[in-house]
Amino acid sequence: MDKKYKVQVKDLHKSYGSNEVLKGINLNVKPNEVVCMIGPSGSGKSTFLRCINKLEEPNSGHVYVDGYDIADPKVNINKVRQKIGMVFQHFNLFPNMNVLQNVTLAPVELGKMSKDEAKKAAMHYLDIVGLSEKADANPTKLSGGQQQRVAIARALAMKPDVMLFDEPTSALDPEMVGDVLEVMKRLAKEGMTMIVVTHEMGFAKQVADRVVFFHDGDIREQGTPDQIFNHPQHPDTRNFLDKVLNV
Amino acid sequence: MQSNHWKIFLATLTAVLGIVIGWQVIEPQTASADEQTYTFATNNTFEPFEIQDSKGGYSGKNPGIEIEILKKIAKHEHFKYRLKAMSFNGDLQALESGQVDAVIAGMSVTDERKAKYDFSTPYYTDGVVMAVAKDSNIKSMKQLKGKTVSAKSGTSAALYLKKNQKKYGYKIRYFDSSNTMWNDVKTGNTAATFDDGPVLQYGIKTGVPLKIVTKKPIDAQPVAVGYQKGKNLELQKKVNDGIKWLKDTGQLDQIINKYTKGNGTTKTTAADHTILGLLKTNREALLRGLWMTIELTVVGIIFAMIFGVILGVLGVVNNKFANGVSSTLIYIFRGIPMIVLAFFIYMGVPNVIGHKVPLFLAGILTLTFDEGAYIGAIVKGGFESVSQGQWEAARSLGLPYSKALIKVIAPQGFKLMVPSLVNQFIITLKDTSILSAIGVMELTQTGTVIISQNMEGFRMWTIIAVIYIIIITLLTWLSNYVQKRMA
Ligand SMILES: Nc1ncnc2c1ncn2[C@@H]1O[C@H](COP(=O)(O)OP(=O)(O)OP(=O)(O)O)[C@@H](O)[C@H]1O
Ligand SMILES: [Mg+2]
Repeated sequence: MDKKYKVQVKDLHKSYGSNEVLKGINLNVKPNEVVCMIGPSGSGKSTFLRCINKLEEPNSGHVYVDGYDIADPKVNINKVRQKIGMVFQHFNLFPNMNVLQNVTLAPVELGKMSKDEAKKAAMHYLDIVGLSEKADANPTKLSGGQQQRVAIARALAMKPDVMLFDEPTSALDPEMVGDVLEVMKRLAKEGMTMIVVTHEMGFAKQVADRVVFFHDGDIREQGTPDQIFNHPQHPDTRNFLDKVLNV
Repeated sequence: MQSNHWKIFLATLTAVLGIVIGWQVIEPQTASADEQTYTFATNNTFEPFEIQDSKGGYSGKNPGIEIEILKKIAKHEHFKYRLKAMSFNGDLQALESGQVDAVIAGMSVTDERKAKYDFSTPYYTDGVVMAVAKDSNIKSMKQLKGKTVSAKSGTSAALYLKKNQKKYGYKIRYFDSSNTMWNDVKTGNTAATFDDGPVLQYGIKTGVPLKIVTKKPIDAQPVAVGYQKGKNLELQKKVNDGIKWLKDTGQLDQIINKYTKGNGTTKTTAADHTILGLLKTNREALLRGLWMTIELTVVGIIFAMIFGVILGVLGVVNNKFANGVSSTLIYIFRGIPMIVLAFFIYMGVPNVIGHKVPLFLAGILTLTFDEGAYIGAIVKGGFESVSQGQWEAARSLGLPYSKALIKVIAPQGFKLMVPSLVNQFIITLKDTSILSAIGVMELTQTGTVIISQNMEGFRMWTIIAVIYIIIITLLTWLSNYVQKRMA
């Protein structure tokens, strides 16, 4: 484990039955770094992301977040998860609460803030994502783009060290995508460490410090956006980019 | 904060359970210092031996031959008694499990039973007699060739008919209740009926238009009080002394004649038997039965919900053992017919734990386990149908399993469950009627008792059915209202 990394993944393996989905992944993410992960469907991107906060249990290898090894049974995973914000493709807002309660639930329940503090903080984050006037709304009444921005505010309210995004815009109508990407750009600019699985190549080019190309359970190639998009080295990468950029 | 909620919940649960059990176990102690109290099992109305009043008790003017005998003996011999009314089979089981000290229920003394029980001196001789319609000219069994005769299935009358069928050449039709059987003779469908002598005599006395043509009862057997073998010897002696005294003073014949001699003398007036009249005369009994049904339903649902939620939560928590316990219990209690469960708790369990299970408690336990198992399955299903994404979102925020369950999953799950739960509540209400089998005086049992007195099966069951429909309608309205408020 190296102190200079926020997230450090070492030789991570994950199988479902006989299907090996992750074949020994190594990845280091520095503070303030934005890593975008691209790759064909089924290559293991989501599985990798979900191993970082142990929504999936790795078969072997290590994942260190802020120095804690999540594979270590002595480590309280709930404590570590508090430092890792996660945003899902399908938002997963809690329909039994209003927008404000969605955002304050975790800080209050986990004793991080008093109710009043949490409310104030929640309004601050809802303001960042441009939805402070929707605080009392029921999440199911919001558009997809709005829901996803609430989900981002909900994750931010725990003041995470790292944010994980799993295709945050791929369930959205095209006109909603921009708003969500704007919020993510702002977070990147303000220095949030982010790992983003995305099909938005434009976003990756513009925002990523590093682009990681996943293929068949492995990292085929990684580098700066310029290296990956303009000078891909591996035929799999070229193949993939040809497909996604020329449709 | 959250764990405090659970503690309060558990404390309340324990307290309520404690109160209910305590309330049931501490029965009123009526015995004075020197007079011992004995528990006698007896029948739900079995005319003319036992005739329950409209409240299901035996404090009416004509409580039946055996009840009057027992009352006189107890007074003369200085002991107190408590009655437990059940079906005859229930009586025997209660005696065997030690729930009661004696059985006084028109119990005939057979060799087989003598091997198993002690008996008092007989106070009556019971036998099968043959009865025909009032205007029939059939006088003996020889006239029955080619005709249809009837008996209640499983009775000694039925055995007798079967045995002699070849000899006399009749057809046999079996019935479950005396009323319908006698009615069939009245309407001319059956030529003759074979039934217990005293039962028929009492029926005729209260207005059934039949006449008995047998001179001497067939297969006559003595009737006596039964005890567990070798137990309660002091009581046995007192009862025998009392019977002797009743015989010697002529009181025994007096009591018996009161119920079996003459005909049509206590016929009730026609006006009483309209639906309205029936409602009026039986108002108090019906209300009492209804109240018991409601009490069973409400208390039953509360405990079934508690049990069900526990089963449901055990079914979804992250623990293989708990999951196994949950599905096993659900499987077992859903698999046992409720009536068997009721018998098991009321008459089986006492054999093992060595003391009685109070009737109401037995009823509530039955409902708790049976309905609770169904509720458990509903709760488990409700939790499981909340999408996996909700779990993941909650857990990824750092919420521990229990908080995720309570704050996020359970509220959504319960909303999904409400329609199924309401349905289960209605089923619970209907299922309380099954508890009549162990003698709980709820609405259905009340109906059975009333009908055995007034023979108005059609009208009374109509009334009972309508009452059920009314309370179920009210319950449905109430739940719709609650559901709307929740939405
Ligand atoms: N719970 C599971 N059980 C069994 N197999 C699974 C499970 N989750 C994922 N897989 C398999 O693992 C492989 C990788 O899936 P994953 O979702 O990580 O891919 P992905 O790169 O995120 O794809 P996409 O771009 O379509 O989201 C796929 O073959 C998938 O079928
Ligand atoms: Mg994916």
